[in-house]
Amino acid sequence: MDELYLDNIDEYVNDHNKIVTYKWLSLTLGVHVNTAKQMLYHYLEHKRKESSPQLHATYLVSGKLEGNGQTCHHVSLVREDQLEDFKSKMSLIVSVHVYSVQKALLKDSGPLYSVDYDAVKDNLKNCSKYSSIRCTNAVPMSAAELQQFQDVQRAPPPVPESKTSVTNGNSSTASKPSSKPQKGIMGMFANKSAPKSQDNSKEVKSEQKEESSSVTEAVKSKQALKSNPVANFFGTQTKKPDKPAKKEEEVVALEQQHQRTAPEEEQEPAAMQSHKETKSDSRSKTKRTEVSDSEEEIMEKKKRRRIKRPEPDSSDEDVIPDSPPQLKTKEKSPEKEPEAVRPSHASSETKIRKRRKVLKSRTFLDDEGCIVTEKGYVSESYSETEDDFQSTKQAPHASIKAKTTSSSKDDEKKSHKKSSASSNKGTKQASIMGFFQKK
Amino acid sequence: MTTLTRQDLNFGQVVADILCEFLEVAIHLILYVREVYPSGIFQKRKKYNVPVQMSCHPELNQYIQDTLHCVKPLIEKNDAEKVVVVIMDKEHHPVERFVFEISQPPLLSISSETLLSHVEQLLRAFILKISVCDAVLNNNPPGCSFTVLVHTRDAATRNMEKVQVIKDFPWIVADEQEVHMKEPRLIPLKSMTSDIVKMQLYVEERAQKT
Repeated sequence: MDELYLDNIDEYVNDHNKIVTYKWLSLTLGVHVNTAKQMLYHYLEHKRKESSPQLHATYLVSGKLEGNGQTCHHVSLVREDQLEDFKSKMSLIVSVHVYSVQKALLKDSGPLYSVDYDAVKDNLKNCSKYSSIRCTNAVPMSAAELQQFQDVQRAPPPVPESKTSVTNGNSSTASKPSSKPQKGIMGMFANKSAPKSQDNSKEVKSEQKEESSSVTEAVKSKQALKSNPVANFFGTQTKKPDKPAKKEEEVVALEQQHQRTAPEEEQEPAAMQSHKETKSDSRSKTKRTEVSDSEEEIMEKKKRRRIKRPEPDSSDEDVIPDSPPQLKTKEKSPEKEPEAVRPSHASSETKIRKRRKVLKSRTFLDDEGCIVTEKGYVSESYSETEDDFQSTKQAPHASIKAKTTSSSKDDEKKSHKKSSASSNKGTKQASIMGFFQKK
Repeated sequence: MTTLTRQDLNFGQVVADILCEFLEVAIHLILYVREVYPSGIFQKRKKYNVPVQMSCHPELNQYIQDTLHCVKPLIEKNDAEKVVVVIMDKEHHPVERFVFEISQPPLLSISSETLLSHVEQLLRAFILKISVCDAVLNNNPPGCSFTVLVHTRDAATRNMEKVQVIKDFPWIVADEQEVHMKEPRLIPLKSMTSDIVKMQLYVEERAQKT
């Protein structure tokens, strides 16, 4: 190596009055740290021979030092005038090299850090490229690998969850032969609903009042938009009822129970939901005209959200401890499932909707975007379960019917009917009947 | 990219805050480096992401804070031309004058992408320069004290006399002997140019200190 670097260092130290550390020198000149240390050492030796004006050096000393009866490995920065003194204290000296050279007499180690700060910051990504510390096993991932790794990390959680949900579903619905994971939810509701059916009916009424007021407001703003979605919805709906028909009996039974339980869950969050959903619905508005499947997906997502909120309530109640997790897993798992799988689930989903939509349709109705989904609920429930509904308790029906009518008819009517629905059940049924006749 | 004038967003206030904060750090560091006070009263603190020395003496700290509190309104109005930290010997003759010359551009323009991180880097360089300034200065005689002078623009002095920012902490006209130095030697330390302020720091040192 030529001697030019001596001039370089001399310029830094004397002209710029800089503290030149080996690290800073290495980064500035782009040389290996060990080379930089040697350069500093040579520079210092050179200057000492010239007996040039004051020049101060800092040394890095590492080795064994005895203190408090223990021998520790110390790495210390030592000023030149204390170097020999410090060395004599050490029992074993591993290495000594020049750390920095500067004109100023340093009073503390602060400036030694400050001087490296900006140099390291400028080379933050590769500040160790001139370092002699290497780990051959540490190979940075390529961008593709990193992406893959991130995907893998994200993916695993849903997979185990979906498995568990299936097993839980089967166990809970052991009496029923269905193998579909969604049955698990049904089973859960069934368990729940049985002991609390009567209590729920009362609570449902109170809920309806609150919801109806909020619903009407939201709906009014978007009356004009409703007509088209309604038409689309009916077109799609007519096809669907055929599929679920096979399992009608099971579904119906579940629906009835579910209708009671669902409102109960929604009670607390209902007020909040009405506000939030208005926002979320705004997104879905644009998608109304899309294929029915896409609409279904949107609906499903919304449902999941709603289901989540009530969880704390359900856990408090008699529900089996396993059941709350089921809700979660199911909510998540469908999202992760590839699109190809969808069609198989679609049939089962329609069934679920019948149940759920009845429950949640109220809040959805409030939201403009949800109008489509609401309509779906109406048609399903009535087509499949006409007989069952009438035979079963009127309370759940009333709520459902009120909604159906409201969705199909003008907003004003909704507000009146819903409020009345909570109080009177007979009138509601009539209104529903009237609705169907129109259709 | 937004361009702000001095009237917008109290921008003068922001600049004054930044500068006074820096001046506080700088004064502490000067007192430490030039050994005006024993190093025992100083502790290591972190500012601008680097270690600096700050006095722990409550009365000294209060004095520095009060002084800068009174300087701030001047900087806000761009009335302060220089802030000088004078180190004086026992006879109250200055031996060193650390001069912070401040000038603010009439039109402040701040680009949203640079923000103020660049300013911090520049101020950090000032701090670093101050911490190694004893390499270019001679040792001070024992028993030194310090004072802070402000050189104002135009007629700002008259307003300062009328309005006391802190009660019983008035500005007075500096003695001639504190301001003028015999055979001064000029030692430039650092200068910076940024969107919000231009500043340079130099030291006037008396040739014969003892």
